Amino acid sequence: MATTAKTLCDYYTALRTILENTDQLYRLNEKLYSKPYPDSNQQQVKQTESELEKRAELASDFSALSEQFGKLTGSTAPADVAASASKLEGDVEGLAGVTASSLEQNAVKVALQAVVTAIQEHKEREAAKAMDQATKGISDLFTKEAEVWNSTETTYSSIAATAAGNLVDQGVTDNTTLLKVALDPFRLTLGSAGNLNAQLAPLAKDQITAKQSDLDSSYLKATDAMKKSLQEMADRIHTVAQDKPMAFRSAPLSVSTVEGWAAQIFTAASPASGSPAVNSAKTEAK
Amino acid sequence: MANALIEVQNTFITLDRQYSLLRAACQTEQDREALAAKYAAAQSAYYACVNKMLSDDDAAVAALCTQLKTANKVVAQATEQMGDMSKVLDNITKALDLGSSLISFL
Repeated sequence: MATTAKTLCDYYTALRTILENTDQLYRLNEKLYSKPYPDSNQQQVKQTESELEKRAELASDFSALSEQFGKLTGSTAPADVAASASKLEGDVEGLAGVTASSLEQNAVKVALQAVVTAIQEHKEREAAKAMDQATKGISDLFTKEAEVWNSTETTYSSIAATAAGNLVDQGVTDNTTLLKVALDPFRLTLGSAGNLNAQLAPLAKDQITAKQSDLDSSYLKATDAMKKSLQEMADRIHTVAQDKPMAFRSAPLSVSTVEGWAAQIFTAASPASGSPAVNSAKTEAK
Repeated sequence: MANALIEVQNTFITLDRQYSLLRAACQTEQDREALAAKYAAAQSAYYACVNKMLSDDDAAVAALCTQLKTANKVVAQATEQMGDMSKVLDNITKALDLGSSLISFL
């Protein structure tokens, strides 16, 4: 449960990185191609970013609570479990924004409040049942909002592809990198490019189209895998809440697909660090 | 629900793709300013939709989605009508108005 919730946090954080990149593209487009990006529109993008950040924080704190949850098996709930619960209570209150999912958001809020109350009152059985509702709520919320986040990613890939295509048309890209496939195996490098750059422009544009499709496809696979992982997490917790033994405890296999996609986004955004910046993103936002 | 968002997104994305060509075809500063205003409005409509995603379970919303889809097809052919910029701008305005009507259901 903790692993899946942590992966969900990475998923939302990667999406936030995509949105930050989109914001940068709009600023570039304004300077290069006179496409307006007024302050009011910048605020709208910031609002979407803020909603993603809240969801990342909720998933992160839910992951922390999940790790602490195992400690509830004693006669008294340790203080750190109660502290995790209190922190989560604050996150839940802050959720808002994507109004079509308000029913799902409310379900998560009610369930998490019940978890917090049960933990604070040292009622383990009630806490497990509330956790069951909370995991189902988080899974339902993700499914309900998936189309919004899918749209966010495809908008980014389309805006980026258009900007890249414009730069190729302007003749300011180095298209000779496409020749690496022919030269690298023989350890040869390009001498004089002549008018190769212009000749290779159509291939460069084909590559943009193909890569845009790859980006969208990779994102859809990650979303589908995240959906399956959350569903599996909810099913496992439900099994435990019904006092039935859980057959296996390893992390869902689909989690690795999401982690791979998120790592790609983080690496592309920050080649130097190449690692998820969940905590730093959260700190920066605060 | 997804249909409304996709159509409002299509208006913006299509305009983004065509923007450089359409801007180059504008004969007057007034046309360029009008085109820029349409672009900003399309971008704003898209993020308004994202931030307050709506439900198209409602029949009226579904009908508006269908109309916007048709209007987007016309906008997609804007580069073929660049000789008549006022017509292009009218077509974009029609799509944006339908998008605004959709967002009013939020």
